[in-house]
Parts: sequence; structure tokens; C-alpha cells
Amino acid sequence: MTKKSLLVLLGMVMALMLVLAACGGSDEPASTDEDPDVEDPAEGEGEDGDGEEAASGEPQQGGSIVLSTSGEPVTFNPLYSQDSASADVIDLVHASLLQTDEELNLIPYVATDLPEISEDGLEYTYTLNEGVLFHDGEELTAEDVKFTHDIFINPDYTGPRAGDFDTLESVEVVDEYTVKFILSEVDASFDTRSGYGILPKHILEDVPVADLEEHMEYNRNAPIGAGPFEFVEYVDGQYIELVAHEEYFEGRPNLDKLTFRVASDSNAELLMFETGDTDYMILPATEYATAETYDHGRISSTLALRYDYIGWNNDRPLFQDPKVRQALTMAIDRQLIVDEIMDGKGEVAHVPASPLSWAYPESAPEFNYDPEGAKELLAEAGWEPGADGVLEKDGERFSFEILSNDGNVVRRDIGVIVQQMLGEIGIEVEARQMEWGAFLDQINPPNYDFDAVVLAWGLATDPDPTAIWHSREIENGLNNISYKNDRVDELSDQNKKIIDQDERAAVIAEIYEEIANDQPYTFLYYPEQHVLLSNRVEGFTHHPRVNMYKVNEWYITE
Amino acid sequence: MTSYIIRRLIMMIPILIGISIISFAIMYAAPGKPAIMNLDPEISPEVREAQIERLGLNDPIPVQYVRWLGNVAQGDFGTSYSRKMPVTEMILDRLPNTLLLMASSLFLAAIIAIPFGVISATRQYSLTDYGVTFGSFIGLATPNFWLGIMLIMVFSVQLGWTPVGGVATIGADFSIIDRLKHLLLPALVLATADMAGLTRYTRSSMLEVVNQDYIRTARAKGFRERRVIYKHGLRNGLIPVITMFGLMLPTMIGGSAIVESVFGWPGIGKLFIDATFQRDYPVIMAITMFGALLTVIGNLIADILYAVLDPRIEY
Repeated sequence: MTKKSLLVLLGMVMALMLVLAACGGSDEPASTDEDPDVEDPAEGEGEDGDGEEAASGEPQQGGSIVLSTSGEPVTFNPLYSQDSASADVIDLVHASLLQTDEELNLIPYVATDLPEISEDGLEYTYTLNEGVLFHDGEELTAEDVKFTHDIFINPDYTGPRAGDFDTLESVEVVDEYTVKFILSEVDASFDTRSGYGILPKHILEDVPVADLEEHMEYNRNAPIGAGPFEFVEYVDGQYIELVAHEEYFEGRPNLDKLTFRVASDSNAELLMFETGDTDYMILPATEYATAETYDHGRISSTLALRYDYIGWNNDRPLFQDPKVRQALTMAIDRQLIVDEIMDGKGEVAHVPASPLSWAYPESAPEFNYDPEGAKELLAEAGWEPGADGVLEKDGERFSFEILSNDGNVVRRDIGVIVQQMLGEIGIEVEARQMEWGAFLDQINPPNYDFDAVVLAWGLATDPDPTAIWHSREIENGLNNISYKNDRVDELSDQNKKIIDQDERAAVIAEIYEEIANDQPYTFLYYPEQHVLLSNRVEGFTHHPRVNMYKVNEWYITE
Repeated sequence: MTSYIIRRLIMMIPILIGISIISFAIMYAAPGKPAIMNLDPEISPEVREAQIERLGLNDPIPVQYVRWLGNVAQGDFGTSYSRKMPVTEMILDRLPNTLLLMASSLFLAAIIAIPFGVISATRQYSLTDYGVTFGSFIGLATPNFWLGIMLIMVFSVQLGWTPVGGVATIGADFSIIDRLKHLLLPALVLATADMAGLTRYTRSSMLEVVNQDYIRTARAKGFRERRVIYKHGLRNGLIPVITMFGLMLPTMIGGSAIVESVFGWPGIGKLFIDATFQRDYPVIMAITMFGALLTVIGNLIADILYAVLDPRIEY
């Protein structure tokens, strides 16, 4: 008996260790691609009413489609969601005051127009469309807008977005269709936070704010919004079903039914698409070539609102001299990386902003591929080739490790190619991959235990660079490479106080210039993102930020 | 017998507690914390701190363990960090799928492996024997996930006979045929490794039996060979095989984690893998304990069956 118990015990321990070990070695599913994004809210869903159609032919009513998603949604409450599987559904079920169009301009949604901003920049007044109905038939009014935003500023609110509204002092209902937001200080990006789905007051008003996050009755079983699709059911691990909202204020959606099918990972998604089980998926760049061969589907591509980069830990002596960092960038042939690893699907990046943004600068310092120039810069910084060809300074070899997360093939390849390119100018690099959890542990505060890291940022619609580049974000924020530049700090503090977009753009451009000169990151490229969709689906508009954009305009041809 | 079973049941408690301590320790030793895995990095440090505080993750690990154990003693496995759902509910949602898959694969393994094992033993050193032996080694050596992917490529993608994954066609009405189509490949894959082991085990166990005196006696009495093997031999030959079944239960949980992931089968195995990636401690612990419980119970059942099948064994 005792011997057997011991065996059982050992067996269980081995099983647990096996699983933990397996996690380290296997291809990581969806979570890998969840870069630590600087995200702002998932924008609302719907159309702006001008009804442009991407495809030929008359949109028809009826039919259903199946979309695949590789993550399990967590909550359908827009005040608490943090993952894209949840956000995709939320965008369809809930309507918001404003949304962004595919050029990332703010456009009205439930609000009739962009907000009216008072002279002092402290009051934002929105007028609402009349006759916007929740799925249960109740009208959406200013009371619901106030109710929703009061939750964000309630001290009991447990969700992740309190920081978004720390300048919001109060919300006032002016009349049934007018609502006024009063700020405590000027906040130029305030209107970009009008994209959160509006909750129905008549259903949730009795739920204490402290309990709302775990109020499954609404959050998972019966979310009700004013968006184009009504929630029907969610079967854990299998699917989420939605049907058209007949009374949708912009007109009934073309499709009758929409089903999200939960898949294990993008490989499984691709297989389901191939066999015709699904009609839509987000296509990883690595599967592009395979998907191109399908007869029954087509690929839509657009520039993603993000950039990929190599971050140099400015805290390490090796990377403290800006000249050295400039040299590193010059020694890396980014165009080659785009051509070879990304299959040409992307653009070389020079600044921490997307070309899609209004704040993208007209010019900024560029450090193009120039290995000879890199060597000169390194020599100026005191690095000379040693006996074995590796650069040395004060007896120290130029040797470091470049880290990325397991299962991400693109980042692995970048590590390897950079290892080779830097090797050619006498720098010794080792490329290493780590399991996602261990990786985060190592690069984030308080550890910061890395030399260089390959990562990406998803960007918010508002270009405020503070969260990543301000030195006060070093200790506990996203500035994990310990970048410090007083001028950048000063300008970052200013930028959100400037309401005029052109003036603000000029200030932000100067920040970008400073950063581009310092090269705390080597900005690699702006990647394209791809969507694979079945030929029977028409009316699709590709949005760089919102996966489920204008789905009410999609229709089926058969 | 009854007192033996009660004694064994009481013995389970310290075993399970021991397992829980070790699992808890290993889990917390793994790098990556739930608070950073699951929270949007953009949220302010204060919010993150508040979250960590609320989850009680700042307390020393022994304190967390004792709190966990106290809750479990009251039947509360906590709330999932990543899915915000009560863990018990999550597991109960998925358990039927996993049990269906495990039962089907055990059944498949048994009906294929036992006859093969017997045939192999009765025709020792024949071509059939070598064939079965070779086949079972191939089965043992084939990784589950690889076999799964290959079967999907052939039967789902190329031939279109079976679906790529899931438990049922989405949106379709309930149908047994549809369910069986979805079940077939994952059950087969999960059965493969066990089938191989079971064949080998049955073979050696039968070989031992067929060389016993009483079999020789039965033959000498002029019974037909078929009757000798199946009536007299099999009953005794299967006793150790039954034990095998008990021990296969826990390995099935491990195996099903991989198979469920490959086939998108929404069972607790897949839940376990997802939870591990997200460092969702309450879910990891609950499933580990479930596996441990199955192991212990599997052992007990094996011992009881032993006694039932072999009256010579007394407790």
C-alpha cells in the first residue's frame, strides 16, 4: 500500500512537471500574439450611415456566417474586458458614443456628432441620436451614458480602465438626449475614450459597482446593448451565437446570424477555414502563403496600427551610449528583415508611431543600413576589435543576449538574423526564446533582467507617448528599457494639454525626433495584418484596429 | 472487504494532501505570475496592485496554501483568475466531454488490444505475434499530437469524412451520428498509446497463464482449444490487465490534455493547458486534484476488481 501511494504521488508530480515542461517547449497559442499592447478601448461597432459598399452586387438580407476566434472570451461587459476575443463580441453587441473609421478618424455613432468642447477645454457635450434601442426594446438615453461613465469613476470600480478616466470629474444629464462630461484638467485625448459600449441602466442599476465585474448574469449569460447584433448564447469552449438586432438604429444588419467558433490556435482555425467550416479568420503572417492557395477564400491586408522593435536595455552599460544604439540600428538591415521574414508585407519603421496616425511626423532622423558607418560610430564610442574579432572596450567584450517569446516564429527568425548581422561588425549576440510567462517575468518590473528584447506595440488611436517613453514609467510602467530623456519628459507632460491637433502634432513630432535620435529601440517595421474570408462574404471593410468592423454591412452571396 | 475499502478511503486523505502541497509548491515555483499574465499592461500600477491584493497573491505561499485548503474543505475551489468564473462550474461544464472521450477511448483500447494480446500470446513467435508486437511498438512510439494532426490532415482535410475539431457541428440539431463523427478521431488517438501498452500487457499475462498446469490439465481433458483459452485462461490472464485499467485513468488525463488541444475538444484537459499558460492557479490546482483523486480511486477500483476476479485474494 505505502509503496503504491508513493508511486501515485510520484506519478502526479511527474504529470504536473511534464505539463509545465511541455508549456515551455510547445508552440504557444493565441496568448503569444498578445503583445503588451498599449491599447485604448475597443472601439464601438456599427456604421456611419453613408453606406459605401466595397464589393459589387446588391447586399442581400439573410444567411449566417461562422467566424473563428482562437481565444476564449472572458466577459461581454465592455467596462471589464481585456482580451480581443471578448472585445470582438462586445463590439457587435454594444454601441458607443463615438467610434473610429478605417482611417482612424473619430466619427459619431450613438452620438449625433463629435462632442462640443467648451472654450476652457473642460466640458465635452454629446448629443445622442433619438430612437436608439437596446435589445430588450428600451431606449438608450443620456441616463445610460451617465450611468456607464459613473461606474468608471466610482472608487469601487475594479476594472482596468480607471486610469482612462482619472481626469473625469462628473457626468451630467442635460436632457434626455444630451450629456455633458466635466473634466478636472485639460485632456486632449479625452474624446478618444468615447468608444466604450454603453450599458443599460435599467438592467444594471441595482448591481453594486464592486460586484459588477463578477456579475455573470449580465457579463456572460445575457449581455444587452444597443449594437447591431443580439447575444443568444455562449457555450464554454465551443461557440458564441449572435443574431441580428431587428430594431438596430442604423437599420437591420444584413446577416441573420453570426457564430464565433472557439478554436485551439491559428493552425486549427486555418484547417476549419480550409474545410469550409468557418468563413472568417485573422490570418497570421506565417500562414499567408498557405492561405493564398485557397480557391474559396480571399485575403484582405492593411497596415496594422502597431510597430515591431528591438528594445535595448538602456540600464545596461553596453547600451547606455546613444552612439552605440545608433550603430546597432545601422548594422541591422531592416529592409531585408521585411523582405525575407515578413515576405515583404510591411514597411521599415523609424519612429514610435504608425504612418496611419495623424501624429506621424513628416520627417525624423533615420538610421539606414550602413555597416561601415556603424563600425565608425562604434570606434568613436571606444569599441575596438579584439584578438578574436569581437569588439572590446576596457577589457569588456561586446557580447549580449537577445530575447523573445517562445512559439513566435517571426521573432525567433529576427533574433537569428540580427545575431548574424551584428556578428559581421564584431558584436557577439546570442538569440534566445522563453516561455511567455517566464519571459514577461524577466523583462517586466521589478526584474528588467534582459539585454535586448524583440517585441511589438499595438498603438492606441491617441498618440500620447507618455506611457512608454516618460521616465516616471520606468519604475513600474511600460518603460522597461529605462529610457530617460528630460526633453521627452517635458514635452510628454505638455502634449495632452494642447487641444488643437496641429499644435499637438508639432509637439509630438519633436518627441519622436528626440527618441529617433536616441534609438532606445531599433524600430524594425510596421507590419501588415491580414484577414482571410470566404468568397461568399461581401461588404467587408478592413479596419486596422477593429476586427469586427461594420459587420452589419456584411452580406452573403450564394 | 468493507473495512478494507474504508481503510483505503481514509488513507486517501493524507495522500491527496501530500499531492496538493507538492503541486502547489511546483506551480508557484514556475515563473510568470497571474497578475502580469492576465492584466492589460497599460493599466496603472495601482490598479494592478489592488488586483494582486484582492487575489491574496502577496501573502506568503504557506498562507495561501492553507487558505486554499480551507476553502477546498468546504467544497470551494475558488474563482478562475483569467475567466472570472467559479472553478467548480468550469470543470463541471467540461467534465462530461472529457469523460465521454476517456470512456470511448478506454473502450476502443480494450476491444482492440485484448483480442490482439490474446492472439499474440496463443501464437507466440508466429508471424502474427511479430506483427502485433511491431504494431504495438509503433503505437507506443507515436506521439499523440503528431498522430492527431496526421489523422486530421488525412480524414478531415483530404477526405472530408470527419470534422476538424469540436464536439458537434455548430448550429446543427443534436444527432448521434454527428457526435460520433466528432468523437472518432480524438478517441482513437487517445486510445493508441494505451492500446499498445495493453496489447503487450495482455500478451505477457496470457503467456504466463497458458503455461500453467491447470491449462495443460484442461487441454489434456480434451477441451477444445478455444474453450481452454477463453474460459480458463482469459479470466486469470485478465486480472493483471484490469489493474492496468485502473492505472491508465490518470495517464489518460495527461494524454487527453494534448489530444483535446489538438482536436479543439472542450474538455478539462484543454482547460488545464489553457490555465497553465495563463497561470490560473485555482484552475490548475482543481484539475490536478481531480487527476490525483482519479488516480487514487483508479487504484482502489483495480484492487477491488482484483478481489472480485480472483477469489483467492483476501483482505
